[in-house]
Amino acid sequence: MAEHTEGRRLPPLPGLIAGGLVILGVLLSMFVAEGLLVVAGLGAFGPGILRELGWLKDQDEFQRQAAHRAGYHAYLIGGLATVLVVSGLRWRETNEGSAEWIMLILVILWMTGLFSALLAYWGARKTASRVLLTFGSFWAVFVIASVIGESDDTAEFLLGVLMSFVVVAPFFVLAWTAGRWPRRTGAALLTVSALFLVMFVAPQGASSLKLSSILVTDTLLLVPLIASGIALLRDEGSDDPDRDESDDDGAPPDVVG
Amino acid sequence: MTQQELADRVGVTRQTILSIERGRYNPSVGLALRLARTFGVAVEVLFEIEGEEHHG
Repeated sequence: MAEHTEGRRLPPLPGLIAGGLVILGVLLSMFVAEGLLVVAGLGAFGPGILRELGWLKDQDEFQRQAAHRAGYHAYLIGGLATVLVVSGLRWRETNEGSAEWIMLILVILWMTGLFSALLAYWGARKTASRVLLTFGSFWAVFVIASVIGESDDTAEFLLGVLMSFVVVAPFFVLAWTAGRWPRRTGAALLTVSALFLVMFVAPQGASSLKLSSILVTDTLLLVPLIASGIALLRDEGSDDPDRDESDDDGAPPDVVG
Repeated sequence: MTQQELADRVGVTRQTILSIERGRYNPSVGLALRLARTFGVAVEVLFEIEGEEHHG
């Protein structure tokens, strides 16, 4: 239809402001006062509310449809998570750790909406590939930093770095295979996620406070992997290793607000 | 014409044009008409129902 184009544009201003408020709110809540998390909430939800009121008109029809679909998905998954958490707390007749459980639901809501929007913008293969690359990169930095911090001996340091690549390499391998063999990669991701659930999440403590805090971390790790796996399994394209999806500008969707 | 130029002419983002080309998004009637007008062709030249053959 049209020639492929030149470079990338900056994200729109409302998205930048919203993202800045989210980061600012998180930092303020960590280092100044926990109640200042409300600043992050303004960034996360403010632009969307302004758009629905018709006071902010910065999205075209495709972006609005993607946002509405992401919101519906977040409502479904977040609603289910809320019912499960409330049911669990009532079953155990406790409200201990309620704030952490609420944070967990918010994390699930936000991640579901984000992932749904990414799928709308990038498609399953590119989304899964970039998620895995991001995970692999962060984990590589974390593992190497741990090795540097704990090793005094050069040989021990080199062995630690080598072992870290063994841990990190599967993420990069799966990021590559996601674009070429999506269904097989999706099955692999779901298998790895199931193993992680069984081996690490399930045995974690019985205390509701500890469990909810740990689950936030597990959710941040598992939800993208599980969602990527499901999206790849449902990918309707052929397992064509020569298929190239590198044409889009790669700009992230305006999903903060 | 580049994707960005086309997007600017019809009032959408380049990502939207890309999604239409990839078959990931079906545009509204208004956008489809604007696209057809930009290229100077009928809407049916740009869009067809999946599975139907286009007889030129």
